[in-house]
Amino acid sequence: MTLAWLVASGLAISVGALVAALLHSRSSDRRARARLGTASAELERLSHAFARFAPMELVERVIASGVPTRGERKEVTVLFADLFGFTPLSERVDPSVLVRILNGYFERMARAITAHQGHISTLIGDGILALFGALETNPWQTDDAVRAALAMRAELEAYNRELEAEGLPRLRLGIGLHRGSGIAGLVGSPELMQFTVVGTVVNVAARVQALTREHDVDVLITPAVQQALDPRFALRALPARELKGIAEAVATFAVLEQSAALD
Amino acid sequence: MTLRDVEWDACVLQPRHDRELEAYVRQQVGAVPSAVPYFTASPWIVRSMASLSYFGAPLVEIDYTLADLVGLVVSQDNSCRYCYGMQRTVMRVHGMPEARIRQIEQNFLEAEIDPSTKLALDFARRISRASPLVTASDADALREAGWRTRAIKELAFQAAHNVFMNRLMTAPAIPIAAVERTADHWALGWVAPFMKLVMRRRWRMSAAAKLRPEQKTGPFAYLSNALDGLPAAAALRTALDAMWESPLLSRRAKALVFAVIARGLGCPLGEREARRLLESTELAPEAIDSILTHLGGAELDPIEAAIVPFARATIRARPAQLQQRTRALLERLRPEVVVETVGVCALANNLGRLGVVAQLE
Repeated sequence: MTLAWLVASGLAISVGALVAALLHSRSSDRRARARLGTASAELERLSHAFARFAPMELVERVIASGVPTRGERKEVTVLFADLFGFTPLSERVDPSVLVRILNGYFERMARAITAHQGHISTLIGDGILALFGALETNPWQTDDAVRAALAMRAELEAYNRELEAEGLPRLRLGIGLHRGSGIAGLVGSPELMQFTVVGTVVNVAARVQALTREHDVDVLITPAVQQALDPRFALRALPARELKGIAEAVATFAVLEQSAALD
Repeated sequence: MTLRDVEWDACVLQPRHDRELEAYVRQQVGAVPSAVPYFTASPWIVRSMASLSYFGAPLVEIDYTLADLVGLVVSQDNSCRYCYGMQRTVMRVHGMPEARIRQIEQNFLEAEIDPSTKLALDFARRISRASPLVTASDADALREAGWRTRAIKELAFQAAHNVFMNRLMTAPAIPIAAVERTADHWALGWVAPFMKLVMRRRWRMSAAAKLRPEQKTGPFAYLSNALDGLPAAAALRTALDAMWESPLLSRRAKALVFAVIARGLGCPLGEREARRLLESTELAPEAIDSILTHLGGAELDPIEAAIVPFARATIRARPAQLQQRTRALLERLRPEVVVETVGVCALANNLGRLGVVAQLE
């Protein structure tokens, strides 16, 4: 009887332990699945978020097999924008106000760029490097880039009115645009990667941006942009200038406005 | 990715019921989707929605489950909340468990599905993205996995057809609340087997179907002819002819839409055909060049000047931007012309991505 009771008790304990273990394992399994599901959904969400900064195929390749080292030669239009006199301003204004001014500026510029099929590759201090035709083939990249530049001009004008109303100083922008071939790919260190374009096309856009101050204009384009641009944009030819690192002097055109027919 | 986060505007069109068109859709599909009344101003669009679907053009080579998966993956990739909701409902009626749908949504490449299906879904998604445009060599992996040419063509057609539906639903922001509610409804799992029973006869594999001689000509005949043998060929021919005959937009305006979208997708076959159609409307080749290079020009009439840049905005899947453009278009054009424009753009996006079928032999 005692033996039977012991066996029964032992069996009951074993069965109880088995059931508990089973339940525990099922519940762990459910939790693990739920965690896996959440992680997978989060990864999916992130990959779609990153698609705004790099081609979706590239994002998927990175997720599946790591960062590819291969670049791709692409025809792109590069827009380089920078604020005039921002460094002296940063010494005069309270840091928290400065950050607010800068964030408001970036928000408006990003809106103008993405509304015209461009994407921001890099922010360098108060400078912006934006690319057109880098994420996906875009036969209208040059018209898009110049429209983006004009939209940035309009956004900045509206922003300046807001800043003035608050008693803050106006911002002044210079934009340089160039079109040409560059190598597009993921560039950087394992800690900081970005999808960008490298090559002379970027350097020329940056140098042309620097010329806006000398010519006292806000949007300057190179002959490569002018040749690809819709002739209905109003331009003013400016004298050629030597550019650092470029063998020949480069003529530029100031973009005045776009005709009503282009709206 | 769940599409709940994708911004979706209020619908810009007013629904208008049309008994005859709704009866046609019911007869083809078995039910009238809630989107139908928004397109009745342009009858060819409503008819094409039904006739180009696998209910109107039944499948010969690929099975209905795969066609549904293609619909899910393409709608998800195009962020079309309407089609995605509809597709999830159809898949649940077909008997696919919710967990499995979620798994495919999250990452079909990692999902527990056979390698051949993964290859097919990857191919379908490339067709939809068109970045770059799919060519015959992209089908090599499918061929190596034993896929027949006609099956690859049918797969391509399903992918491109879903892009057509995605653009139709996204551009005017067709209401999604009811569709999403149904897709997630707890009772769907209980009702699904009965619905499946009712729908069963509509999910039967079809025999091959040849085009009649008079169906072998017309705009973009190289595409419908390339699909010959599939019921989709005749359905596409009928849709194209009805679109071309529709009086709401001029033929020149429609050909311009096709040319712009072919240019944007980098589809030389489509652009060549659109240019042929444009030249038949007496638009000079130099004027066509200029319009396609800068999406505008003095030769365009006010309607064309409005729809050419709009056509360009339909090429890539950006719902919020596209819906904003449709709203702006309504300020310049009559609602029925906007409906027609959306339909032509949607069909042009379909055809521009379908060019691969003409390269497969």
